[in-house]
Amino acid sequence: MKTNDLILQTVTKVAAFVIILFSISIFLGGHYSPGGGFVGGLMTSCAVVLLLLAYDLKTVAGLLPIDYKIMIACGLLISVSTVAGSWLFDAPLMTHAFSDFNFPVLGKTTLHTAVLFDLGVYLVVIGVTMTIIQTIGESE
Amino acid sequence: MAFQILLNVILAYTWMFLKTSYSSSAFFVGYFLGLLILFAFRNYFSGRFYLFRVYAIIRLIVIFHRELFLSNIAVLKVVLKPKLDIRPGIFAMQTVLEKDWEITVLANLITLTPGTLVVDVSDDNKTLYIHAMDIEDAEDVIQGIKDSFENAILEVSR
Repeated sequence: MKTNDLILQTVTKVAAFVIILFSISIFLGGHYSPGGGFVGGLMTSCAVVLLLLAYDLKTVAGLLPIDYKIMIACGLLISVSTVAGSWLFDAPLMTHAFSDFNFPVLGKTTLHTAVLFDLGVYLVVIGVTMTIIQTIGESE
Repeated sequence: MAFQILLNVILAYTWMFLKTSYSSSAFFVGYFLGLLILFAFRNYFSGRFYLFRVYAIIRLIVIFHRELFLSNIAVLKVVLKPKLDIRPGIFAMQTVLEKDWEITVLANLITLTPGTLVVDVSDDNKTLYIHAMDIEDAEDVIQGIKDSFENAILEVSR
């Protein structure tokens, strides 16, 4: 029996975005508070899974035209190039650097290259989770 | 469009609550992140991603000011010319625009174009009657108006 998913879909329309925003907050807060690339990525893929529950595989693939296998490769590339970047400054591998910057609206902000490494982790986690779920979901 | 902006503001406030910092910079960061999320999910909404429409509105404003400037220069030229060799006339133009505000904006833009002036709108809102200061080829003028203004307005409302 096909039920009307109107309420689920309407709630998803707002909830999915709040979940993604929370996952970004967790991802960016990894240095000073619990969180980081792994939980952040898992939670972002949770939001996509919520979309998958409310809609079907084909609709979500149309909403987010992303090849998650390419996403894994991109994540690995970002992490590897962050690690390799330390070569440019004659430092041992995986040496990270940070500095304070002054931005017009944001004020004093500290940026750290470890966030880029974390971004790679974040993308790989999303890619792997979504690849697993989509592959299982597609097989009859 | 309104729903997307509202959702973006809600996301910005959610970000401020998550960070427990209620400064304007936190709002901007949240708004920017919400913008990225909405852009990633742009196919999810029935309308287009709203920044495209904001861009179209900005472009319409730029066109408006450019035409205002050019029309005054053109009138200045005619006024200062010693010989009066203009051929005034009135022609009709069909429009595909439907909403009231679209027709109003189009009429105002045509009035600001060098040498043309909207005289009347037909009762069924389909035809604009335009007075041209120097009517050489009405078809050319109509095509020019359709290409620049009507498309720019359609860009906003589509």
